[in-house]
Order: sequence, then C-alpha cells, then structure tokens
Amino acid sequence: MKKSIILAILFAVTFFAFSENQHDEIFRKAVTTYEQKDFSNSLQLFLGLENNGIVNADLFYNIGNCYFRLNKLGKAILYYKKALKVNSSHRAAERNLKYALTFTKDKQTIEKEDSISLFFHKLFNFFSLNLLAIILLILFLLIIFIINLIILRYRETEKTVPVFFLFVFISLFVLFAILGYLKWKHFHGENEAVLLSQSAIGYSGPNEDFTRVFTIHEGMIFTIEKTENGWSLIKLPNGLGGWIKNDNFERVKI
Amino acid sequence: MKKIFAILFLIIGFETIFSAEIEVQSYVDKTKVGTQDILKLTVEISGKNADKVNKPHLPKINNFSVVGSYSSSSSSVTIINGRMQSSITKTYEFSLQPQKAGKFIIPPISVKYKHKTYTTEPITITVVEGSTEPAPPVSGRTRNPYSSSSSNSDNYSNKLSDNLFITAEIDKKSVFEGEPITVTYKLYSRYDIYNLDFENEPNFNGFWKEDVYTPNRLNFRRTTKNGRLYYVMTVRKVALFPTQTGRLVIPPLAMNVQIRTEPRSFFDFGETRNYLIKSKQKSVLVKELPAEGKPADFSGAVGKFTISGSISTNELKAGDSFTYTLKISGTGNLNNFDPPQLPQISNLRFIEPEITTDINKDKISGTKIIKYLVIAQEKGNYTIPSLTFSYFDTSEKRYKTLKTKSYNLVVHEGESIYVPAGSSQSLVLQEGKDIGFIIKTEKLKNTVIYFDSFLFWFLWIIFALSVPITFVIAKEQEKTARNLDYLRQKQAKKILKKYMKTASEYARKNKPEFYAAVQVGLNNYLADKLKIPRGSTQEFIISEIEKRGLPEDILSDLKNIFDKCNKARFMPGGFSEKNIQNDYKEVQRIVNDISKTKI
Repeated sequence: MKKSIILAILFAVTFFAFSENQHDEIFRKAVTTYEQKDFSNSLQLFLGLENNGIVNADLFYNIGNCYFRLNKLGKAILYYKKALKVNSSHRAAERNLKYALTFTKDKQTIEKEDSISLFFHKLFNFFSLNLLAIILLILFLLIIFIINLIILRYRETEKTVPVFFLFVFISLFVLFAILGYLKWKHFHGENEAVLLSQSAIGYSGPNEDFTRVFTIHEGMIFTIEKTENGWSLIKLPNGLGGWIKNDNFERVKI
Repeated sequence: MKKIFAILFLIIGFETIFSAEIEVQSYVDKTKVGTQDILKLTVEISGKNADKVNKPHLPKINNFSVVGSYSSSSSSVTIINGRMQSSITKTYEFSLQPQKAGKFIIPPISVKYKHKTYTTEPITITVVEGSTEPAPPVSGRTRNPYSSSSSNSDNYSNKLSDNLFITAEIDKKSVFEGEPITVTYKLYSRYDIYNLDFENEPNFNGFWKEDVYTPNRLNFRRTTKNGRLYYVMTVRKVALFPTQTGRLVIPPLAMNVQIRTEPRSFFDFGETRNYLIKSKQKSVLVKELPAEGKPADFSGAVGKFTISGSISTNELKAGDSFTYTLKISGTGNLNNFDPPQLPQISNLRFIEPEITTDINKDKISGTKIIKYLVIAQEKGNYTIPSLTFSYFDTSEKRYKTLKTKSYNLVVHEGESIYVPAGSSQSLVLQEGKDIGFIIKTEKLKNTVIYFDSFLFWFLWIIFALSVPITFVIAKEQEKTARNLDYLRQKQAKKILKKYMKTASEYARKNKPEFYAAVQVGLNNYLADKLKIPRGSTQEFIISEIEKRGLPEDILSDLKNIFDKCNKARFMPGGFSEKNIQNDYKEVQRIVNDISKTKI
C-alpha cells in the first residue's frame, strides 16, 4: 500500500515538473512582452497558458492587467474575478478589481454590510480553498491519532484529556468542513458573470418584445439565475432582475 | 431736675410727632422747551429726616431721555421762640432731553418713606422743534472784525443752527465694494465751547470701520465758511470699507455741546448752556465689483497696489534657511484680502509666514509684508515660482494682475540636515492611481484544487484505514493480556536467560551462589513452561515433566543437575571450587537441550 502512495506522488511530481518547464518559459516571455508595453502580444501568450489548462491566480491576474491596459474593462474584471476565485486572498487582484470597478458606468459598490456578515465574509475570503483542505486534513489526522490512542490504551482509566481534545478537534473539523464545503461549492459555482459588451438591455422576459427593465454597461458583475434559449435571467447587485442575451456576458468559471 | 426731664420729654415728643413729616415736590425750569434744549426736572424732598429718604425713582418718561442727574442737600436750623427746629432739603436734579415735538406729561414722582408714599403733581410740557431759547450772542471773537458793528446783520444770524453745527465730509460719493471712504466730522461754532462729548457711537451698518482720528482735547482753529468766521474742530475721522453694495447710509454724529455765553456786563458772569446737535445724514453709493475680467486668484483686494518679492540669498547649504519676503503696498483694503499663496515645493519647508501690515495714519494706505522663513532640506536646484496677485484698480476701474519675479535657488550639500519634528511631518499624498503591476512568478504552478484531487482523498482513506488496523492490534493485545499463562510460557525463556546470566557471573568468580541461581532459574523456568505455580517442589516438577514424556536422557541430566545443586547448597562440604566450571558447562548444555524441546 505504501508503495502505491509513493508511486502516485512521484507520478504527480514528474508530470507537473515536466509541463512546468515549458510553461515557465512562455510565462517569462509574456512578462517581458508586457514590460515592453506590447500588451496585446503579452495577452496572447498568457491566454495560451490558460488554454493549456493552467489554473493560477497570478496568471489570471496578469491577464486581467493586459485587458485593462487594452481598455477591455469587462474582460479585465472577469479575469480579476477568476484570480480571486482561485485564490480568494489574492490581495493584488482584490485591489485591481476594486480600482477597475471605479471605471464602470454603473455604480456597483457592495452595499454596506453589518459587522457580523462582514466578519463571515472576511473569514470566508481569508482561507483559500486549498488552505482549508490542508487544515481539514491536519485536523482529520489529529482526530484519527487521538482515536487510535484511545483504542490502544482502552484499559487505562484516565481518558478525559484525549476525549477532550477529540471533542475540540471534531468541533473545529465540523466548522472548517462547513466552510470548506461552502467554498468548494462557490468555487465550482458558475452563477457569477461579467458583462463584456458595451451595454445590454434587461427585459422582463426572454425576448426583445418584453418590457425593458434596465440597461447595464460593460464590467457589471451579476448572478445568473437560469438560462433559456440563449437568454438568461440575471440578478443585479441592487436586486433588479431581468433577461439578457447570453452573448453579452461571460461566466466567472475556471 | 424735674424740669429738665419735662423739656427732654417735650423735645422727644415733638420728634416723634413730626419725624414722619416730609414734603416732596417737583418742578421744571420751563414748561416750553425746544428739541435741542435740555429740560431740568427738580425733585425736592424736605423735612427733618429728608436725608434718610432714598433717591426718588424716576418713572419712565415718554418722549424724554434722561441725560444726567445731580443731587444736593442743604440743611437749615430755625429757632422760633427759643425752640430749635432743623430741616434738611435734598434736591435731585434730572436733565431731560426731549426727543420729539409735542405736548407731553411728566408723570407724578413718588417717594416712599416709612411705609408712606408721597406723590408729586404731574407736569405738562410743551416741546417745540428747535430751541425755545434765543440763540446766545455769538462770541465776540468770531464777529467779523471787518464788517464792524455798523452792519451787524450782514452775516450775523441769531439762529442756533447757523452758529453751531456738525458737518460730515465724505471724500467719495460713489465707490466700489471694498474701496475705502474717509468720513470727516467737523464741528463749526461761533460760540465759546466749554465742553463736548459724544452722544453715542454712530452705527456704521454695511461698513468695516477703522478709526482714523478722535480728538482728546478741544482744538479749535479759526476758519471762514460762507463768509462767516467760525471756530472749527475735527471731532471724528473714520475710514469706511463697504462690505455691502447699494446705497449705504452714513449715520449722523450726535454730540452734546456745552457753550458759555459771554458776560454782558460786569455783574453778568455769563452762563453755560447744553445743546445736542447732530450732523446731517449722508449716503454713499457702493457699486459691485464687475464680474467680467475677474481673475481666478482675486481675493478681494480693491485699491491700487504694487507687489514685490525678495529672497535673502540665492545659494545656501542644505539645512540652512533663508527668508522669502512678499511686499504688497498701496492704497486700499489692505486688511481685507488674502495674500497670494506659495505653492508647496518639495524639500523646501516654508514655515508659517509672519505677516505684518503697516497701515498709515489715514488707514487706507500702507504696506503688507509677508515673510516666509524657508528651510532647505535637500540639496538641489529649486525655483521659487513667480506669484500672481490680482486686485481691482479703482482708478482705472478694472482688474489688474501683478507678478513677482521667480527666483532660482541652489542648495549645496550641508553637513547636517535639519529634520524638524512634529508639524513639519506630512502624510505622503497619492499623486496618481493605477492598477498594480503584473506578477512575475518564477515557477508557474498549476493550482490544484485539493478537494478535487485523488491524492487528497487517498490520504484521507489511508488515515481512516489506520483506525481498523489499530483496532485489530488492540484486540490482539487484549487477547494476550487475558491469557496470562500464555504470557508466562512466552516469557519463560527470558527468565531463564536472566538467571543464567547471573549464574555465569558467579561461575566465573567460582562462588557457591552459582548453584542457587541455577536451581531457582531452572525451577521457575520449568514452572512457567509447565503452567504450574512457581515454587513447586523439584519432585513435582520432575513428575510433571515425566507425564509430558520428555526424552529420558534430558530428564536424567536434569535430575543430575538438581542433585548436584542440592549437594553443593545444603550438604556440608558438598561445594568444591574444582567442579564449578564443569557443572556450568553441563548446565549450559542442559538448558540448551530443554529450550529446544517442546514440553
């Protein structure tokens, strides 16, 4: 059994090492191109990496910067959102997103939350998905260790201390598991989308014959409720809902 | 003796009878007065105890204002028929100034004394415009010496207003907002002025007022006005800076003037009379500053100005300081505008400037000096930029912008850089905003989402599997622990080994304890192996072994060695050092044989 684990790890490492070399080369080239202010070529190189299946917050962040320099605000916001999706504690992406959002025609500052929800929001963003995975794994390991200890020393009467720790770790585990599950769901969720076209009109139904409800502009972030025949029912941050055409936006997904 | 008592009683008796009797009366000096005259109202309280009466409270008299009061008292002693009677008179004199013409009543005045109220009669007064009194003859000194006495009527007027008046002279009739006006109040008189004082401070609404001149003593000059000779004195001079636009009223100045009439004969000592005179109300038109052509940096300066800048040195060391002086001089509202602002120059620290405004006596011209102490903080070349100052030129009626020279400054390296603490510190200001720069990672790692990776969950399974493994181990242990005999059997060899070790040690030293160690060790070992209680007798052990069917030779060897041990231990002289090494070898062989055989 041990052999199989080592094999698996070895396999993974070699696989990544092999592809990394190539990708690092392209990445470096893209960075120098960006430094020479050739943003469109730099963007092509970065996008090539993304198409090769690289998922990396820094890469998405750089793509966002290229789009921003090329005045494609919608795309820039989309990629900053992607970077934050991969690593919710990516400070640079957070800053740039905030800055880019000041350029959108529609005001979309998040309404002021009360301190409790703000705390949970911060907690939610503080732990990245992988950090949560590691924390959960360590907690699990500790729990298993304590269980084993209790089993092995079952005859000893003094069991209060291990049982206490077991209880503490289990509660922590449950907490982090909930957080991790929510985060994981959020990560795989594809409901968020960014408007890429200059402007889009929201109708009260999936057709242009319906009443106009609102007009939104490039860079607007919203959630998608459902999709039908090339139209999507979206919900704006201020609560407005309406149908817009699918080709106007792109979902924030990895 | 009795007589004296009687007199005393009489006196005291009179005292008590008449003590409450006081008399109160009021009168005026005239019942017909002019608005310029002063009416004297006298309240007289007389009686034995008049001095114990409080000052009468004057009721509010409509249309009159009290301008002064005066009190005196006199006492008199009369002796009638040898009886002494003393009386005190208290006199209160009030000077009343009529406020308008008409018929008015001075209400009764009441005095309270010993719970009794004494009331005077009301007095009716007729007030007419002007003065009822004939204007006093003008001072001889102001009579025109050239027109002589033959034609007294030429310039001589008996009207008071011709002989005593205040004029208000305004230097400009129409000004711009902020442009100063000088108002001069002059008192003209053909009488001897004995004293004068201001009635009240005029209220200059809509103006910022600066006092230019207020006299502190009588200071008359002779002058001719309208062909007449007057004594004239400047009583007040103010500079007014309009703060509002439109037609603004310059209020009249009112003064109380005491004049002294000339003695007409030897017995006439002349008298002093009080008059209240006012200047005529004037007005001035204040125009708004034109909006067109108003420079952006205009800060309200109106008048005519010049500006100049100067710098104390062009070259200095870092850490040293120099002064930069701005000088604005001219005529206008020097106090009412902001001087031009110096822009921030990095590494030059401008200490809060010292502003001195030297205003000339006329209050409308002067110099404003703004002195900056500047500390050069770093070496380098600096330019103090040219500053602009805009003002509205009242003579040309347009805005003008002046510029100072710009100065170049060379700051050399200094020994120590003066870094002042506290107020000099400023927050770093954000000069621009942009997105952050791209990230240049050396290793572009593909972000593996652990929750989605097989390896991650594989580790979980391994960890989880450790629980049943441990459980099995624990069960095994439990089983072993429960089976104590099994444990003994397993550990028997260990015990034997331990005893043999001590035995070998004794053997090396040729000590008799060897036999004891061998006997006990073998005994215990066999007892554990046979699952019988330790400490069983040799016979029992041997018989048990016989039951299990051990090879005959081993059994006999065992018996042999037990015998030897018994002999050496318990028989006197049974122990000999010679045999010990041989016996040790034999024991080793037997132990070896026994451990190999399964019992």
